[in-house]
Amino acid sequence: MLFVDLCIQGVIQGAIYALIALGLTLVYGLLRILHVAHAALFTLGGYIGVLVTNGSGSFLLALMTAMLVVGVVGMSSYTIIYKPLLNRTPLIALIASIGIFIASEELFRIFFGAYGLSYVSPPLQVQIEILPGISLSQARVLVVILAVGLLSGVGWLAINTRMGIAARATVVDPQIAASSGVNVEIIRYGSFFIGSAFAGAAGVMVSLLNNLVEPTMGSVPSYKALAIIVLGGLGSVRGALIASLALGIIESFGTIYVGHLLDRDSIAFAFLIMVLMVRPQGLLARG
Amino acid sequence: MKKYLKATLLGSALAVSAAVVSASADTIKIGFNVPLTGFAAADGQSALHGAELAVSQVNGSGGVNGSMLELVVYDDQASPKESGPLAVKMISKDNVVAGISGSYSGATRAAATIFAESKVPYISAYAIHPDITRAGDYVFRTSFMGEVQGRAGAKLIGEMLGKKRVVMVTLNNDFGKSLAAGFREQAGNFGVEIVAEYDYSIKDREFGPIISKIKADKPDAIYASGYFFTAGPMVSQIRAAGLSQPIVGQEGYDSQKFIEIAGRASEGVMITTSLDRDSSSPETQAFISGFAKKAGYPADMVAASGHTALLVLADSLKRAGSSDASALRDAISKTNLSASTGKISFNALGEVQKDVQVQIVKNGNWHHHSVISDAVLLAPPSK
Repeated sequence: MLFVDLCIQGVIQGAIYALIALGLTLVYGLLRILHVAHAALFTLGGYIGVLVTNGSGSFLLALMTAMLVVGVVGMSSYTIIYKPLLNRTPLIALIASIGIFIASEELFRIFFGAYGLSYVSPPLQVQIEILPGISLSQARVLVVILAVGLLSGVGWLAINTRMGIAARATVVDPQIAASSGVNVEIIRYGSFFIGSAFAGAAGVMVSLLNNLVEPTMGSVPSYKALAIIVLGGLGSVRGALIASLALGIIESFGTIYVGHLLDRDSIAFAFLIMVLMVRPQGLLARG
Repeated sequence: MKKYLKATLLGSALAVSAAVVSASADTIKIGFNVPLTGFAAADGQSALHGAELAVSQVNGSGGVNGSMLELVVYDDQASPKESGPLAVKMISKDNVVAGISGSYSGATRAAATIFAESKVPYISAYAIHPDITRAGDYVFRTSFMGEVQGRAGAKLIGEMLGKKRVVMVTLNNDFGKSLAAGFREQAGNFGVEIVAEYDYSIKDREFGPIISKIKADKPDAIYASGYFFTAGPMVSQIRAAGLSQPIVGQEGYDSQKFIEIAGRASEGVMITTSLDRDSSSPETQAFISGFAKKAGYPADMVAASGHTALLVLADSLKRAGSSDASALRDAISKTNLSASTGKISFNALGEVQKDVQVQIVKNGNWHHHSVISDAVLLAPPSK
């Protein structure tokens, strides 16, 4: 029973990681940039989730607003930060991204206060018995449903639509794609929108599970998500998703059985190192 | 002599008029390092409000021996990298008569060493690491050490609540570890059996796996260390998972924000702390109402600790009659003061000796549950 319970907890954590890691992978695939500021968008999602829910009473509205607003902010981060730096080395964009991320933590603190925000009456707290003897709150179940739904939606788009095919072509070779008539800019904006919106959704769900959004909420995802996309094989969407799930489950068991030796982050990075020793290119490297 | 007196009078008259402009000519400067940015900014803000309230109370009733107090505040981000250089700056550039830490243990330890070496008195308001006061005999602490509170937790669970099988959830920093050490040391004496102990990091807000394991452990009570921003999510997740055992925490929970985060799940949670909100002591009541008015949110332990540390210093400055460092140090060591966090006096090491307050959440507020006043159990180390 405990084994199943820990697996489920791992899957929930993995689902959150997957929602965050998707955007990072897409951006890396398209621009070869490590988008650290992505984690700030995750936090922004959390703040919008709490503020809109408390203001309107509708969690659904909050989730939609968060995804939309964070998606748009993500697109503008491309215009404002990355686009002017594209013909420089990726290192400069990385440093800019880190700078934006650090500044964002203090901006959140200045605008929303150091104490963080909580839901006045947290929604989706009813327990559902998902397996005999194992019940979870609706919020936890929704995390998994949301992740599976959103990610398979994107997967379907990538395979079945012209836009999706164009996006994949751009990742493989932007110049050939552009000369075949693909509008690379639109692909980039679209990827930033989807990746950021998903991070925003993850932020809303995490804010609900913890009933707390604080300025530093993005600090762990800022590096953990990087570890995930390295583990998955840089730029590989499928790899990143598998890595998210694997890391969620490893951390879940690790916290219980080796938690007195290694904290959650150390467990994750120890796993990363072990995998990279065997497969330096990550779990699923792109061709 | 007469000429000299005239010169001083003229000097102080000038100083008074200069004070209007610079506000620093005739004041007693007190250094205050506190995290105002970074992860501990919320606690830092509270501690600063508490200290500022104390300064305005002291200055409002005429200051110290005719001089006004002035806080020299620096943001240390709760980091030893920041607090060390700041301590040097406070001592050598600002010429503070004493320093107060409104910060966490890491930052406080680094600054304490420098204050002790420079022989300038330094008071830790709420940092709990045992080595802080061991930095030297110019360093004092007005709050409980972690071990002391851990021992009180063992008594609360084993004797007062009569719960015997306990799971510990321990924050893996100096705060959580020293609480756990005190709890473990006394558990046997109160018939408490520690079924299991799980560690977590200060960055964790997601306790699903640990809670699944606690469910399987079936304890009678949970002793969980943490701060309001870790304990809030933890308690709400524990209750959401259907566990109804008593949860005992410590002063890290001691904030209205904990109740806000954990919501209904916070009802019945008990903590060991130093602020009794239902206290009839006029000092505590004046602090609680003054703080809410100044800060705009209810008082917490950190705020009361900042407030207490400053009042201890002001009281000692009065008794010392000067701001001479060694006279001030001696005066602090002889403190016997009723402050917002209880009656303060120090042992030979500079550790405070006072009762532990047990608070419980009832109807969305912290309330008095009981007091633990066992002097032997609560004795801090004296060397």
